[in-house]
Amino acid sequence: MKDSRLSRALSIFATFLKIGCFTFGGGWSIVAQMQKEYVEKRHWLSDEELLDYTSVGRSTPGLMIGNASVLFGYHAAGVPGALAALFGIAIPPIVIMLLVVYIYDLVKDNLYVSRAMVGVRAAVVPIIISALLKLLKSGLKDAFCYLVAAAALALCLFTKMNNALIVLLGALAGLCWQEVQNRRDLS
Amino acid sequence: MIYLELYLSFLLIGFTSFGGMSMIPLINDQMLSHGWMTAAEVADIVAIAEMTPGPLGLNCATFAGARTAGTAGALAASLGVLTPSLTLTLLAAMFLEKFKQSRLMGDALYGIRPACIGMIFAVIVQQSMANYAGPLFGFLSWPALVIGLVSLAVLLRFKWSIPKTILLAAGLGLILCRI
Repeated sequence: MKDSRLSRALSIFATFLKIGCFTFGGGWSIVAQMQKEYVEKRHWLSDEELLDYTSVGRSTPGLMIGNASVLFGYHAAGVPGALAALFGIAIPPIVIMLLVVYIYDLVKDNLYVSRAMVGVRAAVVPIIISALLKLLKSGLKDAFCYLVAAAALALCLFTKMNNALIVLLGALAGLCWQEVQNRRDLS
Repeated sequence: MIYLELYLSFLLIGFTSFGGMSMIPLINDQMLSHGWMTAAEVADIVAIAEMTPGPLGLNCATFAGARTAGTAGALAASLGVLTPSLTLTLLAAMFLEKFKQSRLMGDALYGIRPACIGMIFAVIVQQSMANYAGPLFGFLSWPALVIGLVSLAVLLRFKWSIPKTILLAAGLGLILCRI
């Protein structure tokens, strides 16, 4: 049993290394590749289980895809599997990014590169806006949510409060608000 | 020690964010308050991270760590951002069935999501001030503004992918900007 776990972990590591090389645009493409490899081809898990991993992965802190990899790896091959999946998925992006940083430092003072970078930087705000639009629907559900969002915006712009603290305040506000709602429903 | 500082900084970012764009405000905050990067460099991170494979948060950690303290810094920062997966999520994996039914996490997220949205709005304000600054009327750069509007249009109206949009923006930058 132990042996098969280790060999499973190794096979997970190899597959996740490969997946890690070809994932652009966030975690969803990784989920799609996991679906193809492990649900359709190898039948290690069902669609429902994969969905559970992604939704739990999204609701625990950190990288959604790192979390989903750990949940899947643990399910398939225990702790070694979890480690194999996480480092398999993480190592390729780290190596590629190190190369990019090296190139970035070489070329960033080049005149043409800095002109192009002015354009690239101008595109960042639209990119953030397009991501924000997708979040609005799931994040802003009622008046309470609008209030929290406005408070967070004001705290960011007008105080020097640490953003991590703002997240914790948001969590606290969510817990209190839902508690109040539950009591109201009961009575 | 810079490596420990980087590790702790990205550990904090990891534990208080929930992946993707929700990480940008926290990374922005940490980079600027430590003086590790300027707002323009944070914009470079976002653009470069969107064009290389892997999750955004990990890309940002590697980039920021490497720019601040070389390869060892990159590893320290990356390990920091992966630590929540290695600890909390591994625990959750062991108690998956119980965790799935936990109402507490859902209740907390009900407040965290809008807080993240508010913080992202703040980043948009900050990034706009950093990236559209220039000589026009004393404070606006018209090439940057035009490129921003074109990018917004292709992203929203024509559903272009982000890497494709960034390439277009770079091309426009080469043509329009004379520094």
